[in-house]
Amino acid sequence: MKGFVRRRLLWVGLLVAATVSVVSVFPVWAGATTRAAYLTGWLLFGLMVLLTGYNWFKKIPYLPLGRSELWLQFHIYAGLFTGVLFFLHVGGRWPTGWFELGLTILYAIVMASGVLGIFISRGWPKRLTARSGEVPFERIPVIRRELRERAEALALSTVPEAKSATVAEFYLRRVHDFFGGPRHFFSHLFEIRLPLNALQNDFTDLKRFLNERERQVAEQLVALVRQKDSLDYQHALQLTLRLWLFIHIPITYSLMLWAIAHIVLVYGFSAGAR
Amino acid sequence: MDTVHFVIDKPQRWDSSFDPEMSEGAVNRLLGIRPFSEMDVTKFSKRTPLRGILKNDTRIRRFKNGEIIVRAGDYGSSAYLVLSGHARVVLNPGLPASMLGRRKSQRKGLFEIVAQLWTNPRDPEVRTQAELVQDTGVKARSSTKGAGVFLQDVPRILDEHKTAMMSAGDFFGEIAALSRTTRTATIFAVGNETELLEIRWQGLRDLLRFDDHLRHHIDRIYRERTLATHLREIPIFKKLNDEQLKRVIEQTQFGTYGDYDWSGDYKRLAKEGRHTPEKETIIAQEGDYPNGVVLIRSGFARLSQKFGHGHRTLNYLGAGCEFGLREIAHNWRQRTDAVPFQQTLRVIGYTHVIVVPTPVMEEVVLPTVPEGDLPALFTPGELAETEISDTTRKLDAGAKIGPELMEFLTENRYFNGTSSMVIDLERCTRCDDCVRACATTNEGNPRFLRHGQISGRIMVANSCMHCADPVCLIGCPTGAIHRGQVGGEVLVNQATCIGCSICSNNCPYEAIRMVEIREEDGAFMVDKDMKPIVKATKCDKCSDQIGGPACERSCPHGALKRMDMNNLDAFARWLHR
Repeated sequence: MKGFVRRRLLWVGLLVAATVSVVSVFPVWAGATTRAAYLTGWLLFGLMVLLTGYNWFKKIPYLPLGRSELWLQFHIYAGLFTGVLFFLHVGGRWPTGWFELGLTILYAIVMASGVLGIFISRGWPKRLTARSGEVPFERIPVIRRELRERAEALALSTVPEAKSATVAEFYLRRVHDFFGGPRHFFSHLFEIRLPLNALQNDFTDLKRFLNERERQVAEQLVALVRQKDSLDYQHALQLTLRLWLFIHIPITYSLMLWAIAHIVLVYGFSAGAR
Repeated sequence: MDTVHFVIDKPQRWDSSFDPEMSEGAVNRLLGIRPFSEMDVTKFSKRTPLRGILKNDTRIRRFKNGEIIVRAGDYGSSAYLVLSGHARVVLNPGLPASMLGRRKSQRKGLFEIVAQLWTNPRDPEVRTQAELVQDTGVKARSSTKGAGVFLQDVPRILDEHKTAMMSAGDFFGEIAALSRTTRTATIFAVGNETELLEIRWQGLRDLLRFDDHLRHHIDRIYRERTLATHLREIPIFKKLNDEQLKRVIEQTQFGTYGDYDWSGDYKRLAKEGRHTPEKETIIAQEGDYPNGVVLIRSGFARLSQKFGHGHRTLNYLGAGCEFGLREIAHNWRQRTDAVPFQQTLRVIGYTHVIVVPTPVMEEVVLPTVPEGDLPALFTPGELAETEISDTTRKLDAGAKIGPELMEFLTENRYFNGTSSMVIDLERCTRCDDCVRACATTNEGNPRFLRHGQISGRIMVANSCMHCADPVCLIGCPTGAIHRGQVGGEVLVNQATCIGCSICSNNCPYEAIRMVEIREEDGAFMVDKDMKPIVKATKCDKCSDQIGGPACERSCPHGALKRMDMNNLDAFARWLHR
């Protein structure tokens, strides 16, 4: 059995065992005490503190606290386990008050963004690798500018050489904007090639009106268009691989603040609830 | 407000003598001793005269009874000439580590590690004065009074261990120094009058370059002493008695292929896209009569087999590997059915080999080897290339990791790395946690780029690989770049680095960067001419941290691994995990 499969089975096994234990023990707790929600609440909050701690762990890599890979595994499966605790804590009912609703929505966003994060973190690196054209994210604007400058120079070169402005005009009308910045963000995310194909088709249509020299330039421009498209692909995927954390982490902190307020309110109003 | 800047001189070659106290009288004395007395001073260049080498690259050291001179397993960059007195070399089995007085490397304490939370400077590449001036390592090197390690019970060691005596005129440590490998044996002083001349490898390199006498001298000593130790370590020679071993040693041939400074040539060819296996020097060719067993002593060689119109790399062989034994053992047993070499062995960079000729193997060595220990015979199917034996399968790393990746590792000479940064791009989310962790751990300065050559899903990042054959050490005029004493990491001593860029230019993997350094207040450090002080920086594998390399620990997806590329089985396991 391969290492990753074995690891996944181990963690899934732990998650199932923890879920089964808690779900079977919870009715006993609930029968024994009127404060079962306090127990699941504190368990849930403690786990959320640990999960939030992963972000801090990453900021102090020099402390000998173990491997990030192991912590991430814990983060993923403990995060999924919070779903079980959350369900038990709220008693399977949809919250009625605005405060509880806010807390639930925040929790749902954190959970959903986390699951999305796992999904894209596992799947998209394969897509980036398969597409080739690997480039560090911070180098993308520099390379994009270089491609644009080369494309512009090529388009302009046809005016004196071929004594015709057909390619230059086509470039201005159809291609200039394409090289101006990152394009077709969502098409790249969902592997839709239509925008690129449309642009290539326009080049094919144009070729029948070009002389030999202009055709050569047009072909070179198509090659640059493909390079730019690959660059946009890298940009779209790499940006999303980074951006999801900009949802997951700030919402997590909001959730923690909301949860602390929730705890204060629960204890503040618990005296009359008996 | 005026700031008092810290101004230091830009050092020059031989500014940092091996021993500043080396006197002209001592040099004169050395010039009267063999092998220096036999050297032709006119053969040396004007910039590096013999006198200059002896004055600046050597030092005279005196050892007391039982004091350890070199320890097995240490990386050393010096060779020694016994001037007077005696020393003993401990043959196998070596001394236990505890007896060698090994000390732990200087790791940060837990408080120092935690203190990084608030002590990391705001500006990049800040160096404290203490880092640049008060380097205890430099003081220790330039002094003969450094702390030594003494063996407490020499008579017992002589009883329990096999040792060999060394006397005036004997040379040792030259192979480890020149091939940049570990010391193979421990040597200690006998008596209180042992006087040695220590020659740092830069000086030894120049001596060998300009004088044949020393080269022959080292060759002879190597044959007499080191070869016996080396052959004794190889299973097939273990059953030889002294007389038989002597016969083998007498007829063994040496060969050094390629360039000692191979990286420059490699970089040039790689840039021109002309680096192909066909251009590498052949040590032994597939289809030729096997005229000897080739034993690789240092460096690397490519093992390849004809495939179509090209060559398929099966593996690369490093120090300790043999080539041709199976063919010779087969022919010895099946005299009517002789087989030629089944693979080709090519030099990659620099390779030092010893060749035991076939007649010696057949007459002396093979008869002593039990039948069960001999390599398997070639089957007709193997020779007809219709089947693959277990031996070949085990050797064929290319099949385990894929021929394309195998070629990639060999072409780019990544086999050199003992701690290469390998990234699995199918798991790497490009989050740069590794880069941030590296920067945070190294006072805000990332020591690598998450960028490098790619083959399929594997990227070898531009980070120091802590090479088995660290060519960056070649040419360093002050010895600032050196091996760590315990783990063998390649480190740069910031105090003695003169910023000459030789190491950076030599490194074939672009893993060393030259940076302009700053004072603690953020101002650039300058020399007397107001030129910025430049230093070489590189990954030190977080050798001062408790947890090991921060890059590897910080990767959340297990996509980054520091790998010894000489262990392709481990690499294959990681690849197919």
